[in-house]
Amino acid sequence: MEAKPSSNLSSKFVDQVVVPGDVILDLSSMANQTIKLGGGLRQDGDSISVMKAGTLRFTKPNKYWVESSHKRYVPCAGDNVLGVVVDTKPENFLVDIRGPALAFLPVLAFEGGTRRNIPKFEVGTLLYVRVVNANTGMNPELSCMDASGKAAEYGVLKEGYMFESSTGLSRMLLSSPPYPVLEALGKKLSFEIAVGINGCFWVNASQSSTVILVGNAIQKSESLSMVQQKIYLEKLLKSIQ
Amino acid sequence: MDQRQANSLIMTVNEKKFIESALLSDIRVDGRRPFDYRNLTIRFGSEDGSSEVQLGHTQVIGFVSAQLIQPYRDRPTEGTFAIYIEFSPMADPSFEAGRPGETAVELGQIVDRGLRESRAIDTESLCVVAGKLVWSIRIDLHIIDNGGNLVDAANIAALAALSTFRRPECTFGGEDGQEVIVNPPDLWEPLPLIIHHLPVAVTFGFIGKENNVVIDPTHYEEAVMGGSMTATLNTNGDICAIQKAGGDGVLQSVIMQCLRIASVKAGDITSKIKNAGSIDVAKYHMERLTLGSDVSTAGHSNMEIGSQSNERDETNKKNTTAKGFSGRPASWDPYSRGVDGDALKASLASRVTAPPDKHIKSSRQVKADVAKSSQRSSDTNSFQEAKKIGLQTDESKTLKDAVKPRQKRRINKSTSNSAAT
Repeated sequence: MEAKPSSNLSSKFVDQVVVPGDVILDLSSMANQTIKLGGGLRQDGDSISVMKAGTLRFTKPNKYWVESSHKRYVPCAGDNVLGVVVDTKPENFLVDIRGPALAFLPVLAFEGGTRRNIPKFEVGTLLYVRVVNANTGMNPELSCMDASGKAAEYGVLKEGYMFESSTGLSRMLLSSPPYPVLEALGKKLSFEIAVGINGCFWVNASQSSTVILVGNAIQKSESLSMVQQKIYLEKLLKSIQ
Repeated sequence: MDQRQANSLIMTVNEKKFIESALLSDIRVDGRRPFDYRNLTIRFGSEDGSSEVQLGHTQVIGFVSAQLIQPYRDRPTEGTFAIYIEFSPMADPSFEAGRPGETAVELGQIVDRGLRESRAIDTESLCVVAGKLVWSIRIDLHIIDNGGNLVDAANIAALAALSTFRRPECTFGGEDGQEVIVNPPDLWEPLPLIIHHLPVAVTFGFIGKENNVVIDPTHYEEAVMGGSMTATLNTNGDICAIQKAGGDGVLQSVIMQCLRIASVKAGDITSKIKNAGSIDVAKYHMERLTLGSDVSTAGHSNMEIGSQSNERDETNKKNTTAKGFSGRPASWDPYSRGVDGDALKASLASRVTAPPDKHIKSSRQVKADVAKSSQRSSDTNSFQEAKKIGLQTDESKTLKDAVKPRQKRRINKSTSNSAAT
């Protein structure tokens, strides 16, 4: 979000649990480098301090953020989320992304979108969208295009069912190497899945029973440890055969 | 405008279509079949008359209290009861604090009708002085989590709370013998309410145009269903109340099918409430003993309610008491001092012991399981002796004497069954 000079040393708090008030970086001792701050961090003059309790994460070359698992989502720019259309206005669609405020999706934010071919979304349409900017106090802005203007999988999700999870589970589902539950299910069943970082995921398959199985298995697996997950999945997949 | 829109549950069109199409293959989103109930857990609080019910994600707390008031003019010999429902804002984003909304009032009326019209609670026994003082029972139900089907959960919470509630015993005293003294519970054993039967509510949801019926809808299913029907019935085969307020029209054959299924489910739920209640009664007695108070007539009347259930329930109790035990023995309760065996034996030695064996047998089954799991097998004998004493001191009561002979015969049958097996 903000660019500031920094050094090559990463903070010694990386991958540890931090609480609001912890200072993770002191910028006064750093050279001319940019660091990127993700969610949960704030710049206070020369120090970077933590706003949200969770685990501090760092990816090369210079991105820091705090990861925690909630049921409620705090919008952040660059996130891919699932949203439900609530209302249509002349300039925007009002979309609920399960955050504190409704988000605006401009009617032209589609690939090849002009005033003549504005899509018609009825109330309750499920969309996969990208958060363009999300400032506190303002309604977040969304887009159905990626940064370069291509459609890139964003848009309406048809059929299927949307399940709720927590933000932590959504992140685990999107991590690489892939989530073991997804891998194990994918080996035996064929289904389509779209994960929104705002605590929901959408599953579609040719049969309703497959959708229900995959969705419930993922939801249940959140509270199980690695070993328990393996056992649970083995039992589940055996019972389908 | 923004906030209120965000508060109500917004369903996607995908979900509505999916729920309906999944029902065509007889499967629901949480993996249940159309006529399966969610897991039901009934727990009791430390006070008499408090219960906590969990039905899937739905949680309801029930609390019963009583107060002496003047009776209504046209019913001078009957007590009263009233139901108060509170929809806590933490249950659902659309619940607001303050006066109950439409759904809250409707829920209260369904639970109230089930209890009042069917005369489940014996209000005549709540009379203390005809025309002057009667007991008024107040049932408070708090919804603390809305996972769907609040009616059933609230009803079960009310029934569970009523079955464990104990009201203080009243005696006449004072100079002229006309003053009513409410005896405190630690001196006089408080009495349970007389409940003739348990009216259980079973809710059905009608989804889609083909009259697909689901039982115990979750709050997602409630958002997409076209109509719902709640049937309140008891295990005697009586329909206490039916509520179908608006919504889609339903064929008569579907309604009859729903009522048949509801009576089966009501039987399940009634036995669950009774099991949970009997375990609580057992714990209640262990606690009364450990506090060193005199065992009195209330012990007998509690066993009465337990033994009035039919033989099937009794074998259920035998089988499920150990499993259903919710893990609340008095051994970890910091306020219970444990039974002092020697002191108890000394105090009992001074009393006459000629027990009616039939009552002991049934109490032994329940108490033995409880005693085992709380690792006090040494105290079981002294406990049973104390039970005998309790059953002895009620010779002076009138109503119970009239009822006793029938019960003895029933318990004879059950014990001969258990002896044969």
